Amino acid sequence: MLQQYFGELETGLLSAIRGSDGLVNPRKLYSLEVARLGKRLCSGTSPVAWCGITAPFDLLHSMGVTSSFVEFVGALLAVTGVAGAFIDTADQAGYSSDGCSYHRAVMGAASQGLMPEPAFLVGATNPCSGGLAAIECLARHYSRPLTVLHIPQDESGGNVAYLAQQIRVLAGFVTAHTGLPLDRDRLREAIENTNRTRAAMCEMYALAQRVPSPATSKDLSNFGVVLPLFLGSEAAVELACAYRDEFARRCAASPTTKKRETFRLMWIQNRIQFRQDLEKLLENEYKAVIVVDELNDVTWDEIDPEEPFEGLARRSISIPFNGTMERRVEHLQKLAREYRIDGAVSPCNWGCRQGTGARGLIQAGLEEIGVPVLNLEVDCVDDRKYTEGQVRTRVEAFVEMLHGRSSPWN
Amino acid sequence: MAVPPADFIGFACAYTPLPVIAAAGGAPYRVLPMTESPDQAGRMLHDNICPHVKRILDRAIDRDLPELRGMVFVNSCDAMRRLYDAWRRVDGAAPSVLIDLPPTADESAVAFFAGEIERLARTVESWCGRTIDRSKLSKAVEQHNVLCDRVDALTRRVEAGTLEGGWSRLQAALNLAATTPFDAALKHLDGLLGEAPADRRRASDPPIFLFGNVLPDPDAHALFEACGARIVGEDMCTGSRTFTRIDSDSTEDSCRLLAASLLRRPRCARTFDASDPGRMSQDVLDAVKRSGAKGAICHTVKFCDPYLVRLPLVREALQREGYPLLVLEGDCTLRSMGQHRTRIEAFAEMLR
Repeated sequence: MLQQYFGELETGLLSAIRGSDGLVNPRKLYSLEVARLGKRLCSGTSPVAWCGITAPFDLLHSMGVTSSFVEFVGALLAVTGVAGAFIDTADQAGYSSDGCSYHRAVMGAASQGLMPEPAFLVGATNPCSGGLAAIECLARHYSRPLTVLHIPQDESGGNVAYLAQQIRVLAGFVTAHTGLPLDRDRLREAIENTNRTRAAMCEMYALAQRVPSPATSKDLSNFGVVLPLFLGSEAAVELACAYRDEFARRCAASPTTKKRETFRLMWIQNRIQFRQDLEKLLENEYKAVIVVDELNDVTWDEIDPEEPFEGLARRSISIPFNGTMERRVEHLQKLAREYRIDGAVSPCNWGCRQGTGARGLIQAGLEEIGVPVLNLEVDCVDDRKYTEGQVRTRVEAFVEMLHGRSSPWN
Repeated sequence: MAVPPADFIGFACAYTPLPVIAAAGGAPYRVLPMTESPDQAGRMLHDNICPHVKRILDRAIDRDLPELRGMVFVNSCDAMRRLYDAWRRVDGAAPSVLIDLPPTADESAVAFFAGEIERLARTVESWCGRTIDRSKLSKAVEQHNVLCDRVDALTRRVEAGTLEGGWSRLQAALNLAATTPFDAALKHLDGLLGEAPADRRRASDPPIFLFGNVLPDPDAHALFEACGARIVGEDMCTGSRTFTRIDSDSTEDSCRLLAASLLRRPRCARTFDASDPGRMSQDVLDAVKRSGAKGAICHTVKFCDPYLVRLPLVREALQREGYPLLVLEGDCTLRSMGQHRTRIEAFAEMLR
């Protein structure tokens, strides 16, 4: 089912791209890479690894492993409108309905044989304990080897060296369970691609910060969380460059886009994954544009291709969801300043302890710098729990409130 | 002579290296989620965070705590990390530290955790104004192990049905031992052990193994018995887990030894062996068999991901061998336990 879906998606996107007369929306290229990743995961042509979000995907790519974090599957099931059935399957197997729906959808899909069988699994303590538990359960379900990366809370002391060593061990683990060796030249090439991608992303985000922003609410939806899956590949470089170039082109034509941006919004954590009209509602009815998502940022330095493991470790530690809430709030405040944000939207995904748990602290932190937060109460994967009317009412009230305030940046 | 007030240092997780606190002259004080304080934690934390964490935060906000020199948090789960974040925003809350806890117990994880324990030692020294040296730490480990031995002996008495008050009284003793300086705790436990044997055996009630995380209210344990469930063994964070022995070996680095002992004790849902995923289910099954129980009750606080995600595997393992499992999710109050009364009675009835 998944393979067919991704195959048809790829074909459709390629057809649309060919027919676009050279002016390709980078969002289509992004979707194409998602489809291709999905197809590779299902094709059986290379070993598959199910991972936690902070796994070093460029390292795995260099070793010939097709890898993904499991939440990617949960999100895809939501996009295609079938997550509910798999969530029900998980709940019937005893998973708590208070748990994360990304993980419950994945557990349901695994139990029904929908997910490709992995060669091995890589758990990670960052960002969440629920995700690590889900990976452990999947390893048990598939009877496949598991290794775990313990991501320290910060870079103090010997933390970077500790994680770098775990990543070295991971490379040996991959070889032991797939027979695929770590080729230093291929790793160097992957890291160089990662650095090129990073450079293009920095330029692209700098463009997105402009007023008006060249980014629409949909352009970079899920981008910062999904792009790491492509890191190390040429495709990631091309994708980041395509966004950068398109944003530069739009900036050059900015007078035509100015009218649509009455309010600049920041989206906290992940988007709502199933189809709904919230972004359209914000943009079309209120001229409120989501110009940045929390994870759409480069929080890590260029990686030294000669010392890759330390750089990969620093990157995993740097993710905003890691460490204390002060650190996360500081990052949100930084984005708010850089993007001159008028307000922030937090979906408060039900079942997410690490992200939604500190909702009040995030709200207080952003209000300190004059940025109000709209806390929605939604399940980002299970569309059956989405009440459009209630969300609309909350959004209307929030926008009305924004109209009554002066911008924190004037 | 007046007894000086104890230098209480709070903690909230069974993985806290308690001897480090004692070695600095502090008295470990477990901040149990038992309080009449109003629900205020929602101001900072979402409602979907576990009630263990919220009740602790409520106690801090409401100043329903003894004077604490400091508060030790362990990065045992997302909720505990968020509690550390919120605690530092509470006016008047004691200074705090978060130590990181690896999920596994391999050599590099033990070395990392030993480093975290070193960091904790320096922090606790600054709170208490006393330095920790090797001999103080060794003595603190010895004292901790003395308490563990007493708890173990008391548990044997309860399992044999010879302690008046049974599990409920044992839980009260554990709560006291976790919140009282060593001498007073030892005196209390010795007092209980010195009592004449009672005869509380109720062979007609089905034997049940209790496991899970946070259930400190002694009345909750009384409720199990009142419902006809005869507890014959337990493995709870607020039960025997806080009092597991720590290896002592004068030739090894003390912090490393502490780290290895804490990480390598029987696993809960927080730590696991990556080479044997899902092993927790087999561990629970083994414990049920050892206890002679006919079934198991898991009590977990609501929204506890580490337990809730792994429970289906545990259920499967128990069912495969014919042991029924009753899962109760609670909010650390007896109110929620009361709502479970009918389910516990039905479960016990089924096992007769």
